[in-house]
Amino acid sequence: MSDVKLENTKAQMRKGILELCVLSIISKEASYPTDIINELKEAKLIVVEGTLYPLLNRLKDASLLEYNWRESKSGPPRKYYQITESGQDFLSSLKETWEDLNQAVNYSQSKIKQNEQNS
Amino acid sequence: MNKTVSINLGGYPFHINEDAFEYVHQYLESIRNHFSASDGCDEILYDIEVRMAELFQEHLKGRTIVSMKEVDEVVQVMGKPEDFGAEPLEQPSYQQNRDKSYKKGSIKTGKRLFRDPDDQKLAGVCSGISAYFGIDDPVWVRLIFVLFTFFGGFGVMTYLVLWFIVPEAVTSSDKLAMKGEPTTVENIAKKVEEEINELGDKISEWGKEFGSKKKRHR
Repeated sequence: MSDVKLENTKAQMRKGILELCVLSIISKEASYPTDIINELKEAKLIVVEGTLYPLLNRLKDASLLEYNWRESKSGPPRKYYQITESGQDFLSSLKETWEDLNQAVNYSQSKIKQNEQNS
Repeated sequence: MNKTVSINLGGYPFHINEDAFEYVHQYLESIRNHFSASDGCDEILYDIEVRMAELFQEHLKGRTIVSMKEVDEVVQVMGKPEDFGAEPLEQPSYQQNRDKSYKKGSIKTGKRLFRDPDDQKLAGVCSGISAYFGIDDPVWVRLIFVLFTFFGGFGVMTYLVLWFIVPEAVTSSDKLAMKGEPTTVENIAKKVEEEINELGDKISEWGKEFGSKKKRHR
């Protein structure tokens, strides 16, 4: 049973961070979902590709993202996503939270290490 | 020899074997069901179709016909709709979806009870049941049947009845429908209740019939 819970926790952690990463990838330049997937896969952030599409849709509905169509040489026109102004604000506050969390985790981990060394 | 179907997947044309077509169709339908309450359902589905088309092109490497092998590979990359469900979007949409179906007065789980020919001791009844309820190992269901046989002898009779009335999963779409989505505890309870009620009604009908026959014989 414990490994089931572990998977669950991992998924929960990934989920929160996924939003941050998708937004920050798109904030660099207008992106085609396949390019986003490739970056996320490199970072080992998504397990199955299908996860991305509902997420993009949700971010778009929240007006954090918008998309426009671009012609493609090899097929039908492609959707390119770009970040909106409110998306930028959202992203920077997510980043702040991430920094805080990151510090908190590092701090608590280093405390544990110190205690181990002292004892 | 295999029959192929021509399809337009996200704007890309493909020739696809009939069995593989069924599989893709079922897969996309299961995604549609999953997101049916969300406004963006069609859009999500279209985006996924486009991505699947790209993946097919990658996996075909110049071959012209999509077969079960490519479909399997691509579905594995895309993942099952339950796996996208880590998204918060899933919760409300699922709830609304269920509310909608309550209004229509029918509950569509996209799942059907079949006998599983791939994992059978006798006729695949138990493995079909465990697939239906998302139990990993059919041995538990088999054990229950065996126990019922010892305590009261209902096991054998129930098994024979199920053998008779439950169809065997023959095609791949049958097998997909057999596995379906993992049902929630609530759904299982509801389903079981329904089926017990139905069975109860039937048994009392049989009882009446039997009784009236008896009376006539006297």
